[in-house]
Amino acid sequence: MGRSVGLPRMHQEAGERRDFLPGLVAWLDGAGVDEIVLETGYGSAIDLVPDAYLSASRRARFASHEECFDQDVVIVLRCPSDHELTRLRPGSVFVTMAHFATRPERVRLLLDLGVHAIGLDAVVDERGRRLVENLETVAWNGVREAFEQIRVRNPRFDHPGRRPLRVTCLGSGAVGGYAVHAATRYGDPLLREALWESNVPGVEVIVVDFDLTWLEGYMLRRLRSTDLLIDATARADASVPVVPNVWLGALPEGAVVLDLAADPYALDARPPVVKGIEGIPHGNLDRWVFPVDDPAWDELDARVDTTNRRMALSCYSWPGLDPVASMREYGAQIEPVLRVVLGSAPERWRVDGPDHEERAVARAEVSRWMRARS
Amino acid sequence: MDARQELTFGFPRMHKEEGERRDFLPPLVAMLADLGCEVAVERGIGSAMGYTDEDYVGTAPGLVRLVDEETAYGQDAVVVLRAPIERFELLREGAALFSMLHFPTRPARVRRLEELGIDAVSLDTIEDDEGRRLVVNSRAVAWNGLEAAFETLERTWPLLTSRDRGPVRVTILGAGEIGKHAVEAATKYGNVERSLVLTRYGLAGVEVTTLGRNLTANEAYLRRRLEVTDVLVDATQRHDPAVPLIPNGWIGLLPAHAVICDLVVDPYLLDVDPPTVRGIEGLPQGNLDRYVFDVDDPAWDELPPEIPTGERRAVVSCYSWPGVHPKRCMELYGTQLAPMLETLVQRGGMSRVRRDGSFHERALFRGSLRAWLHPHLAEDLVGTSGW
Repeated sequence: MGRSVGLPRMHQEAGERRDFLPGLVAWLDGAGVDEIVLETGYGSAIDLVPDAYLSASRRARFASHEECFDQDVVIVLRCPSDHELTRLRPGSVFVTMAHFATRPERVRLLLDLGVHAIGLDAVVDERGRRLVENLETVAWNGVREAFEQIRVRNPRFDHPGRRPLRVTCLGSGAVGGYAVHAATRYGDPLLREALWESNVPGVEVIVVDFDLTWLEGYMLRRLRSTDLLIDATARADASVPVVPNVWLGALPEGAVVLDLAADPYALDARPPVVKGIEGIPHGNLDRWVFPVDDPAWDELDARVDTTNRRMALSCYSWPGLDPVASMREYGAQIEPVLRVVLGSAPERWRVDGPDHEERAVARAEVSRWMRARS
Repeated sequence: MDARQELTFGFPRMHKEEGERRDFLPPLVAMLADLGCEVAVERGIGSAMGYTDEDYVGTAPGLVRLVDEETAYGQDAVVVLRAPIERFELLREGAALFSMLHFPTRPARVRRLEELGIDAVSLDTIEDDEGRRLVVNSRAVAWNGLEAAFETLERTWPLLTSRDRGPVRVTILGAGEIGKHAVEAATKYGNVERSLVLTRYGLAGVEVTTLGRNLTANEAYLRRRLEVTDVLVDATQRHDPAVPLIPNGWIGLLPAHAVICDLVVDPYLLDVDPPTVRGIEGLPQGNLDRYVFDVDDPAWDELPPEIPTGERRAVVSCYSWPGVHPKRCMELYGTQLAPMLETLVQRGGMSRVRRDGSFHERALFRGSLRAWLHPHLAEDLVGTSGW
């Protein structure tokens, strides 16, 4: 094989605890790579000791962050800063969530560097479905956290005499579908079983899509009887909110708002981007629960209307809340990608070859991705 | 010649019922030929979907040939969607059979395959490390069922296409894999084009209410919900199939124009212990030849006499919803099956497929009769997901 693999850590924020699990190191060893270079402290945020990785492969060793970037193949879930990318060697393979479509400057940089970057979010099958994604975890983690807030705020939450809880979910796509499933189970199968055993009425989940959300009278009626409002939309026009801030006032005072779409505020972009539910803060792995008196509401750009507030939950990376489960899933999904990466030189990957995994990886390689769009 | 070139494939047709139009499509055959495999396809394959024999043979003239049914079954690996229960004897000992074999619910079938020494792979038990099926068409179950339901609703409720109505109200029982797709399909009237047209005319859309087990068991709530439901969808997986979720009497609570969409299609098995009844009591069971039942359809009266059918609404029910749009269905199955067959060729046959091999190899192993008969072999096949 004659290849080395670097596994640097992610340092964007303190709450980011994810690293690939030792199983990936064992798999790389089995795939015949020469050396596996892990950044010192790899796995420590999820309580994995160095020996967990070293015992997975005799070819594994720990080194500095910089040295990890200096390998033939570099794998890191979240894309590092442009400055860090410049450490990558020309001709190396870089595997990450690159988001080529919304990061044109990053694409140019990677092409200039001569790096064979593979956007994990761009690895799709012939039907356009992502092969490396964690949408189910997005939904379940977000919904679980939201119901925890409802439980804390509602003393009759587990009382058999309470009425069914009412969830309104905006959007019925991939995330919405999982959110519905999760919401019927309070985001927690064990809690659902416990409440079921105690004869506590369950959850009514109502889904509305774009052909109904425009109907103001209907939406205001719906919001008035909603305990949990979920944004799981994928808007065609991200410059217009689905729920304007003024509508938030229709929600009961005790209602909770959950942002699974996690669109940021980018008011100076052309066109601008606003959240689907106007006025709620944008959370991250350090902070994702925002009571109405949280300073984060006031820290938003003054152009964003935050007049009406309800308890809001938002996180740009919901899977990161369960780092081990998230990385177990990503680890399994990334394996077919790495089989291609380690199997032959990037120049030999064919977008029209007989191997469907090779085709998927080839399509997600930055130079071919760019060619397909120019 | 290496192992991959020695494998031959057979693609027999399905002859069980007239309405069954599905066969695997030319691209899957072409992929195998590209790998150097000889492929024997039964004459007339794909004809019910408008394909000609030449569409198959033309993909690789030297490697793909037309044969009779018996010859198609006589290959090293045989690929046929529905279980060919009356054709098992045509398979060679040691041959690989890829089909929807449903090992968990068909013990007699499992025994027969074992006796015949067939290296069977059940498409419905090919799963990834997280237990998710890799050859599955639950999306088509939901979309095709809802499409038929809304077509029927347009007949029973002319207001559907009128601006005078409010949102259409759909109630879905069950929020699992099929329920998830049913939600999306219902918000689009089961058909994206129909949705675009109705949206363009400024009609209010569809409000979809999904109920899990902890509310479907709440009689008072459910009765109120039925009264305001235009389309009732059964997408449940019941713990106790001997008890209906909606007794026949409750069907009378639905508005007269309401349509019941049966995506589960449990059979009536009244002579077994415990018996199996349908989730919504009293509905006829459809198939690819007939899947729409108005209230005066004779099918209601043909049900076993002990099944109450006094309350009726228009019903759409089909044991195989994906088969309603056969080409679309087989395109998907072909795409899903391709990496499995590719892996089979790379390994040189099922006997060489390893329990701890690549992602698709592990999945293929999990679907095998070998793994089903010896479940401990398939345990802990977690690849990178393990510690």
